Amino acid sequence: MNAAPLVLYTAALIAYAWHFARRHPVVGRSATTLLIFASLSHTFVIGMQTMEFGHVPVAGPTSAISTFVWLLGLAYLYTELTTDERAMGVFILPLLVALQSIPALHPGVEDRAPVLQGPWFGVHVSSLLFAYASFALACVIGITYVLLFKEIKAKHLGFFYARLPSLQVLDRMNQVTVVVGWVFLTIGIVVGAVWAAQVRGYGPGSLDPRVQAMSLQDPKIFVALVCWFVYSFELFAARRIGWGGRKAAYLSAIGFAIVLLNFVPVSYFLTKSHNF
Amino acid sequence: MHLLLVGISHRTAPVDLRERVDFSARGIAAALSALRARNTTQEAIVVSTCNRAEIYAACDDPASARADVSAFISDFHGIPSSVVADHLYHVTDLDAARHLFRVAAGLESLVVGEPQILGQVKSAHAVAAEAHTTGPVLNRLFHASFAVGKRVRTETALGSGAVSVSYAAVSLARKIFGDLAGRTVVVVGAGEMGKLTALHMKSQGVQHVTIVSRTMAHAARTAEAIGGASAAPWEELDSVLRASDIVIAATGATSPILTKAHVEGVMKTRRSRPLFIIDIALPRDVEPAAGEIEQVFLYNIDDLQATVRENLQRRSSEVARAEAIVSEETEKFAAWFRSRGAVPTIVALRQRFDAIRRAELERLDFKLASLPPDGRARVEEVTRLIVEKLLLTPTEQLKSAGDDPETIAAFSEALTRLFALADHLEAPAESPRSRVEPFARKPPRPR
Repeated sequence: MNAAPLVLYTAALIAYAWHFARRHPVVGRSATTLLIFASLSHTFVIGMQTMEFGHVPVAGPTSAISTFVWLLGLAYLYTELTTDERAMGVFILPLLVALQSIPALHPGVEDRAPVLQGPWFGVHVSSLLFAYASFALACVIGITYVLLFKEIKAKHLGFFYARLPSLQVLDRMNQVTVVVGWVFLTIGIVVGAVWAAQVRGYGPGSLDPRVQAMSLQDPKIFVALVCWFVYSFELFAARRIGWGGRKAAYLSAIGFAIVLLNFVPVSYFLTKSHNF
Repeated sequence: MHLLLVGISHRTAPVDLRERVDFSARGIAAALSALRARNTTQEAIVVSTCNRAEIYAACDDPASARADVSAFISDFHGIPSSVVADHLYHVTDLDAARHLFRVAAGLESLVVGEPQILGQVKSAHAVAAEAHTTGPVLNRLFHASFAVGKRVRTETALGSGAVSVSYAAVSLARKIFGDLAGRTVVVVGAGEMGKLTALHMKSQGVQHVTIVSRTMAHAARTAEAIGGASAAPWEELDSVLRASDIVIAATGATSPILTKAHVEGVMKTRRSRPLFIIDIALPRDVEPAAGEIEQVFLYNIDDLQATVRENLQRRSSEVARAEAIVSEETEKFAAWFRSRGAVPTIVALRQRFDAIRRAELERLDFKLASLPPDGRARVEEVTRLIVEKLLLTPTEQLKSAGDDPETIAAFSEALTRLFALADHLEAPAESPRSRVEPFARKPPRPR
């Protein structure tokens, strides 16, 4: 069922790339339209799954990826429609296509363990997914910042100079997306920690081995905390030591690389606490 | 109907002659009405910019119209025709159309792809429309040219990139800071170059301009000349630099006044706020190594000139794509323009058929007299519909043969003979509407 959005995301990716290269306004508008249709079909898929399971499909790593792609697509569409800036699409879409191909090609089982019943689970997962979507935008913005920065510094004004918004705008967008992501990351981690402590003592899942594995030694939790420190440092550095611009852009890119690491390989192969 | 273009431009005439034939000096509307009074053209539009003066006209006899329009140009400006004649160019029909399309695309401009020309072509058409000197042919031609200009602008990069040093500086400032409205510019040096660049920055939205010079009186005078600028003494240079976003260095100093160490000191307190330094002084005012500092963007006059050259090169590489659009649109216009050759035959054919219909209705008038009024109206309607239907296919065939003038001529010849249209073509009958409609009690419904 996740294949239809994948096809539409791929079509949108081709249109965004074509628009980026040739800057034909009709192609640009069709790219946005394709992405809107991709998001709509993805909304439909997630809606169907929600009805089927009785909850939003976020319990297993595969369905969490699909929901993450959906959120990121919507977040990107929101920025594009509010800023009228289409150049970022060509950087976001490859990520959407790559991630969406996981649930499209290997549909996982969405089987919610008894321990995951309850409101805390929804808050924990949805705030983290939202944080990751925000960090993905920050990463892309950071990469484009560096590309444009290098062109201007090298005094060779070419491809990106003609296509990207100004450094100042990119820097500010990077700041905003990192702040938003950091707030949700903090909420997600705190809620997860409190909830795990609660469940471990009593409740329906206290004997679940996965709950017993909830500790700092678990790679998933450890890497999430590393992320939190990276982004906290980025925000601190921007305010206290004047690390804006290119350094902040690099930190955003590194931070999201860690997020991605946590999101795919760690979720599938390494964690003992989050393999639902 | 033919199209005619008679013009003079930067390609054919020196600037002093172009100044003398500038129509906008004496008013384009006046020129249009003077041209109409000569009665050699049916439609006329004058396109007049600082690099060209062109008269586009629709006429029946291009040869005599050409001579008359050329004479008009020298008469109107009071220049002997012998002086102007060598510099005039004239083309007709589709070549004239192609020329206008190239003009609107910016391909004929002195600086290829400059953006103003399309607006100038539009206003030329608007002035002529107001003076009632345009008609169906030139309206169609000019609207097609607007479409060409728009397509070239959106589909090619012909107009992209700054092509003068000061625009290149502004465009860079925009790429670094985004909106320039809240930015502060400091000009180091009170000379003419610095003043001009500051004025340009101000016209692009910069609000705060500060002049710093070794002599406070010079700085104050320049600040006053710019208007709304402030002056600061040399000792405050560092604090002014700390507060500014864009530095224009333009002193006459023989050794650099801003060394790398100096700029580093300034940047320490600025955190990550970028500083854009434009060094337009010769010899240079800013040590080139200062450009290595993170968040300092240093461009000197040579760098800016290099980007201008690159932009010009990029524009010329887009010329082929723009030319393709011009050709495409010329083809489209050609199809319409050639199909107009069939128009007299179509009109004559319609008049002929309608005359027959009317004559028959008149002949049968007494037989139809017993019908109730709306019955007669129905008869009128039905006969008219039959004529329309009969004419539909021949009309379409004639129009679609538009690409080939020989086919049109053959068709017209055949129709003229078959339906004895010759007398209709020679002397077009008065408009059918003005005739007394034999059966129409009320005017026929508009179809």
